[in-house]
Amino acid sequence: MAIGYNRTTPAPTGGQVLGAHPAPSTSSTPVIDVRNVFRIYESAAGYFTALRGVSLQVMRGEFLCIMGPSGSGKSTLMNTLGCLDTPTSGTYLLEGLDVSTLSDDELAELRATRLGFVFQSFNLLPRATVLRNVMLPLTYTDIPKSERTKRAVRALTSVGLPPEYFDHYSNELSGGQMQRVAIARALVNDPAVILADEPTGNLDSATGEMVLKTFVRLREAGKTIVLITHDPEVCEWGDRTMHIRDGCLLSDEEERAVVEAHGGTGRGRT
Amino acid sequence: MKASDLVYETVSALRANRVRSLLTILGVVIGISAVIAMTALIGGIKMSLVGEMGLSQARLVTVNYWGERKIYMNDLEAMAKDLSDDYETILPMATTSTNVNSATKGLQGSIYGTKPAYFEVMNLNIVQGQCFTEEDYEDGDQLVLLDELGAKNLFGSEAANAVGKTLRIGSSEYRIVGVVEKSGGDRGNESVNVYMPFTTLSQRITASNSIETVFAMARSEEDMDGVATRTKQWFIKRLSLTDEMADNDLWVTTSKSIIDELNTMMSSFQALMTVVASVSLVVGGIGIMNMMLTNVTERIREIGLRKALGARARDITRQFLLESIFLTLSGGIIGIVVGYFGSYGIAGLVVNALNMTSGSSVTPVLDLQTMLLVTGICIAIGVVFGYYPARQAAKLDPVESLHYQ
Repeated sequence: MAIGYNRTTPAPTGGQVLGAHPAPSTSSTPVIDVRNVFRIYESAAGYFTALRGVSLQVMRGEFLCIMGPSGSGKSTLMNTLGCLDTPTSGTYLLEGLDVSTLSDDELAELRATRLGFVFQSFNLLPRATVLRNVMLPLTYTDIPKSERTKRAVRALTSVGLPPEYFDHYSNELSGGQMQRVAIARALVNDPAVILADEPTGNLDSATGEMVLKTFVRLREAGKTIVLITHDPEVCEWGDRTMHIRDGCLLSDEEERAVVEAHGGTGRGRT
Repeated sequence: MKASDLVYETVSALRANRVRSLLTILGVVIGISAVIAMTALIGGIKMSLVGEMGLSQARLVTVNYWGERKIYMNDLEAMAKDLSDDYETILPMATTSTNVNSATKGLQGSIYGTKPAYFEVMNLNIVQGQCFTEEDYEDGDQLVLLDELGAKNLFGSEAANAVGKTLRIGSSEYRIVGVVEKSGGDRGNESVNVYMPFTTLSQRITASNSIETVFAMARSEEDMDGVATRTKQWFIKRLSLTDEMADNDLWVTTSKSIIDELNTMMSSFQALMTVVASVSLVVGGIGIMNMMLTNVTERIREIGLRKALGARARDITRQFLLESIFLTLSGGIIGIVVGYFGSYGIAGLVVNALNMTSGSSVTPVLDLQTMLLVTGICIAIGVVFGYYPARQAAKLDPVESLHYQ
């Protein structure tokens, strides 16, 4: 394959660029290395800049939370990190691989093998069983069928879903169970990064906490997690929090400075 | 994406919308049933007519001549010699009508004088007793065969024991040696067909050696038109006929020419049916395209999800294309079954409509070639009408699709 590794084996760790924000207890090679990324949309109303020179490094085994209000560009950042969207300018290295040079098919391959997605609305297929839902990403890889079931069972076990639910249809589950199935689906291909977009947004606080504990457990098992939220309480579960505001990424300190400069509202920045 | 995964996804997607899928393929089912019913029926009618005319042998050439100069056995012998490359068997036939009497009953009978090979050439099975032999033919023995219906008309309940009984025709008595299966049409209860050696007929009944009809079996069915032409030329020369006489009095026909004529007649009917069926299939195809477009719209989020999870554009195209092919293919298979069994129902009506004889029936004939062709057409409809919706699905932007409400 053009992107240098096939769909069955994990990618080797890529370039040697050091992160600007080295996180504690992680190795020195960033899994995600975003440098000065701009994303500009063109529409009938004119140009809209969703990301303005975003730079970000996420180290292996790190649990990063990105917080921002709606319209701040966090979804665009998530889509860019998830290789669903490509930057207008700047570079994005995923495990050292320059994503901006890849074709659509190569990006799809990258999503199938190196990325796991968890969505706010779970996005499970209602007509498929739990097991089948978890195996879905593997149908787009070369992993043999016998191996798929094993992997799916392993992933479901690691998110703590009891085996009696494996044959249930996904619409027979509670919200918390559905999200755990979705996390298992994100885990099943042993990705480099799990990207979670408001994973607790549709859940009550107790269930949300259970889901967050699942992420913490995965992080302890060495998984890299990037979680996007607008809820400050959720951010407390991560190793580190970045703030996104009007398409710019800020550290905790920068965010506090902005909030103070604008009378505590944080609004008005251009 | 593996083929087995594609099939699984397709079946589960279609099962989720069973009623809609069934309604959608109705157009295809109707179109295919119509084609299959008509094809099976036409095949059946053809078989039935060909069988009824005794023309199941495509190698048969029939020569009729009504002119002044009669045909005699020595003409046939010369023909057998001159045209030995073309023919393996040449048979004389003369007929007459006269009273045929059993011990208890007298009936109007059609008397056929020929050779023993006649029954084989005409595909007439001997159901009781046996045929007279070549020796009987040479000797002009007074032996006859009856047709099944005639035996029933003459002997009633004793028909099964007709062999060995005697018939009186004119002033002579004839021993029945066999009964042949139904031949010719429905002649009612008052007649009988009697077959005897040509020599017996000419010596004892008609007192004439002339031959009315010549049945000749060609060696191969490859070049029947050529055989017929050579035969005609031979008779023209042998009988010293002018062009006008040949046109008026000499007929050389082959089974093939009759079958060809039948084919021409049927093919125009078939062409009409094909047009009707094509319209139905196009309408059915548009229905499928419509459903697939609705399907794509309803499943935009699923498409977005699949793309996010690693599906390539071609994986999505294949998935939706296979769904439409599955729809048309299952429509085709249902159509073949419905059409085939439907044609049995219509067959009964056709027998009445065509005034075919009461003894005959039409058995629909469906060959593998037709079924494969229909299956191919169904797959083609699935591809043609499913491609656009499948491409639409594949082109969807994953980000927009995932957030589609």
